[in-house]
Amino acid sequence: MRIWPVFVLASCLASSGCFPWRALQRNLSAPAERAVAHRIRDPRRPEARLAALWVGHATVLLQMDDLFVLTDPVFSHTLAQASKRLVEPGFDAANLPPLAAVVVSHMHFDHLSFSSLDLVETRTKVVLVPPGIRSNMPRYSFEIRELSRWQVYEKDGLRVSAVPVQHVGGRYGIDAAFETQAFTGYVFEYHGISVYFGGDTAYNPEDFELTRQHFPNLSLALLPICPNAPRGFMEHTHENPAQALDAFTLLGAKQMIPIHFDTYINSDDAFGACPAQLGREMRSRGLSAPQVSILGIGEQRVLIPR
Amino acid sequence: MSPWLAGSIWATTQLIPSPLLVIGDHHVGGGLGWQLTPVLYSFGIAERPLRTFFVSPIARHSGSVELHVSPEWACCAPGGATSWLVRAGLRLYLPLIEHGEELSWSLGASYYRAAGGGGASADLGIYSFNGVLGLNVTVSPWLTRRELIAALTIRYF
Repeated sequence: MRIWPVFVLASCLASSGCFPWRALQRNLSAPAERAVAHRIRDPRRPEARLAALWVGHATVLLQMDDLFVLTDPVFSHTLAQASKRLVEPGFDAANLPPLAAVVVSHMHFDHLSFSSLDLVETRTKVVLVPPGIRSNMPRYSFEIRELSRWQVYEKDGLRVSAVPVQHVGGRYGIDAAFETQAFTGYVFEYHGISVYFGGDTAYNPEDFELTRQHFPNLSLALLPICPNAPRGFMEHTHENPAQALDAFTLLGAKQMIPIHFDTYINSDDAFGACPAQLGREMRSRGLSAPQVSILGIGEQRVLIPR
Repeated sequence: MSPWLAGSIWATTQLIPSPLLVIGDHHVGGGLGWQLTPVLYSFGIAERPLRTFFVSPIARHSGSVELHVSPEWACCAPGGATSWLVRAGLRLYLPLIEHGEELSWSLGASYYRAAGGGGASADLGIYSFNGVLGLNVTVSPWLTRRELIAALTIRYF
């Protein structure tokens, strides 16, 4: 009888040598959610052509002239009854304005929250998802429309295009093997403004170069910078802060906002480590705001004024 | 991960038994149970309501009706007798929290066959952690030596 798996499991549990066990330990000893000091109640910015409000993780409320778009809405306090939220959502979903579209990049628990979609159900008529997700979602009153790579959703002047990213599909583990197309990024275009949303992606230069060929004048790139550690585990599915800046360069966007950090415990990264590393990389490359704006959770930034 | 490997993992996980506590008129014993789902109709899912065998947790726990087949093995009661039972039935799942991913419950009816004969049962269950863990209580009032079976259900897909 082979007993090495038992030794591996035992040594993993005894030495804190395996990532899932460390993540579980960190979540069990997690502090209470940090409060956001001044949550914005009305996100409408009349003085803005483009504004972004970081709700936390990959959830961003974008104002493009007179319309709003919401990315990967997750307002949950825990993910899959395991991963705890470190900072409360930076915006109360009850204050959401009518949304021209909601997008979901893939169906991992930190990007697709069914109870959070309940909260936006009355605010939007359409939720855009990559292929394979609709058959893994509950019924809602809004339309769930699947967009394959480079497919476009267009309504009332808003164009949303699905663009390639490198990640992994599925929600419960082994279903990733069957949902091989169930992850995407998006580009939003409206009134000459264009915004890239990377969702969750590893560093794949080809994807970013292809996107730039299709969208050569990106106004803004929302790029994930975490989780970073353990790098060997994360590198195939997540870019690190330095790679996010490389992606920003390859995309040719005018401005960048980092996302996907300091919201949930889903890695070995200490709170604040990812934006700190991003700050160091920015200094070494001579980048600063407004080219790259590191927002706090709940912070809103006007990126293109009227 | 290749689909072949994923399918193999799924098939292997179906072999993981759920521990049973068997309570009869004059004895308390243990046992093991398994379950297969030949057909499930999900009325809570947005698309593709009909599933067979490989059923994602959200399809089952967002609201569904399934036809299940469950072999059960009872053992360890005083006297040392062991016995097999096969159950087939219908079960209704309804969501409670997070569209059933965090908490759902079920109500079922089944027909069993055992060495001593057959009969009807009713069951009530509650499930959490994407349906991986649950507690299901089956009452079989007309089956000799097996009046009530409590199962800690363990199921991955």
